[in-house]
Amino acid sequence: MIIEMREFTRVEGNGKAEIVIEDGEVKDVRLQIVEGPRFFELLTLGRHYYDVPDLEARICAICYLSHSVASVIGIERAFGVEVPGEITLLRELGLIGELLESHALHLYLLVAPDVFGYPDAIRMATKHGELVKEGLALKAFGNRIRVMVGGREIHGINVKPGGFGRYPTVEELERVEKESEALLRLARRAVRLFAQLDPYGAQARHFVATDGYLWGERLVSDEEGAFHYTERIEERSLVYSFAKQSRYKGEAFFVGALPRLLLKSEMLTPTAKRLFEEHREKLSSGYVSYNNLAQAIELVYALERANEIAKTLLDRGIEGENVPVEPREGEGIGYVEAPRGVLIHHYRIDGSGKVAYSNIITPTALNHAMMEASLLEEARKLYGEADERAMIGRLEETVRAFDPCISCSVHLVKF
Amino acid sequence: MMDKLKLAVFELTDCGGCALNILFLYEKLFDLLEFYEITEFHMATSLSEGNHYDVALVTGTVSTQRDLNLLKEARNHSEYLIALGTCATHGSVQGSVELPIREKLKAVYGDGGNPMRALDSKPVVEYVAVDFALPGCPYDKEEVYQVLMDIDKGIEPVRKDYPVCIECKLNEYECVLVKKGLPCLGPITYGGCKAVCVRSGLGCIGCRGPLPGEVNPAGEYEILKDLGYDDEYIVRKFKTFARWEP
Repeated sequence: MIIEMREFTRVEGNGKAEIVIEDGEVKDVRLQIVEGPRFFELLTLGRHYYDVPDLEARICAICYLSHSVASVIGIERAFGVEVPGEITLLRELGLIGELLESHALHLYLLVAPDVFGYPDAIRMATKHGELVKEGLALKAFGNRIRVMVGGREIHGINVKPGGFGRYPTVEELERVEKESEALLRLARRAVRLFAQLDPYGAQARHFVATDGYLWGERLVSDEEGAFHYTERIEERSLVYSFAKQSRYKGEAFFVGALPRLLLKSEMLTPTAKRLFEEHREKLSSGYVSYNNLAQAIELVYALERANEIAKTLLDRGIEGENVPVEPREGEGIGYVEAPRGVLIHHYRIDGSGKVAYSNIITPTALNHAMMEASLLEEARKLYGEADERAMIGRLEETVRAFDPCISCSVHLVKF
Repeated sequence: MMDKLKLAVFELTDCGGCALNILFLYEKLFDLLEFYEITEFHMATSLSEGNHYDVALVTGTVSTQRDLNLLKEARNHSEYLIALGTCATHGSVQGSVELPIREKLKAVYGDGGNPMRALDSKPVVEYVAVDFALPGCPYDKEEVYQVLMDIDKGIEPVRKDYPVCIECKLNEYECVLVKKGLPCLGPITYGGCKAVCVRSGLGCIGCRGPLPGEVNPAGEYEILKDLGYDDEYIVRKFKTFARWEP
């Protein structure tokens, strides 16, 4: 017998799952990504490098800047271009804006309705209007940073190899400094709310993140030594899904806010670090549902870090100069932490500046096997115990904890 | 009091941005909800209660059999259907990969055939008649708000009929095509975005699709050639967001 879950709601993109029951037991779970393939790597082949980040941004609306930045870093590494601290800080600020926008969307509009028993945030707003408004305030602030750094709320083209089209003004940075401080109170309240929830889903055994907090030169895991994705991560196609599955040394693994906290807590800002320590025991259990709590702690991190960056840039002043980029034959990988986890853009570029090879692996594709494992574990716990509707509801929450971005997962290519 | 109009949002294959952009209306979304009741909106609500919609917004391209079925359902059950965003109106970037679907699938998934019934990505307007087409990758959120308010008042929404250049001039941005020699598609692209990319000092990439009528793509082509861009580059640039026309 197969129990079919209808397409997931309150997630980005189109996916569903089948629960396979044999002899009264849950035998298997198949997570089906039904979103159509989008062939982004094919789209960029033969394109001039300058146009590529703008195209790659279109992979995902929720995390377009992560894609732009990963793409730009991949291109710069291929050409051996190094950018100064000012540009690096502004890119980081952009990623922080994206983290705020994306986590606030996920926690307040997609997950919170489960916590309070509503089908959506709009209906939840009648009784919990303050909370919804707080979420929207954080989200709007994140988006203002995205407009400032990325050019617009969705699919901006301001992030370029070698720098930016336009640099922020002093007034804009002062506003970031002020608002980030004012909003911190709301983020701390979110941590209290999401710390109360009981764990569900599987306990992840392997965690992977970039070696810096929001990007890196390589990846790190719960085992020793930084590595390139090609050394330990393998992808394979499935017959029932448009997304491929990735495995770390043959096993399911977890990328996202929880892995970031667990692997890189020493890089956190003061209040975020204190909150992490306070909840360390819970988080270390590795239950995927604690990704929600981890995201809430990251809201605090993002606001504190945005404040630091704005202060630093205001102190030293913005020069607003791009680094010249000369195309040459080369290969580069951009590793970025998109809000929902590790994002990889890998390019080879020819001497005339055209893309000759391109591989993109998104967090949702990396988490695919872990999502399936979590559904299986949760279904085994609940089948026969809870009624079918309650079980399916909880399974959907389990998927939601990953903050999956299904549209992004469907365009992997290998040559 | 008048009954609220029933509003549905259907997402086919896309980046999620056109659905997300509705949530980015913030307080205006609550204004909208004075006139509309959302009865289907996958990304935002777990409720799905309609079989008849006054207004349906459809985003994305038709890229699978599932998308096509969903689109037909949306068309058959709605009074007023809006193709929302450049995927739905012109195919956008994912529609611009010019290979047959078999070859594309083979490049990605190997020789395993087509078990999930993927189709070549085409815009919504290729399959059904739409009542309004609102392009943009993403569209301007103020624009969708205005369109929905117009429909509620019984006014037929107006389609913009001027290029991005007009908005660029109104904002007094420096012309990046003439002054910097950047490839800017502003002169031949549908306005309505407030020339947001030129605000960043960068060229318009044509994400709202080509403006039909009295525009001069041949002239744009000549300008870009004179600036030193080669044929292939220009042609690909022209076709990136728009292989189809609504």
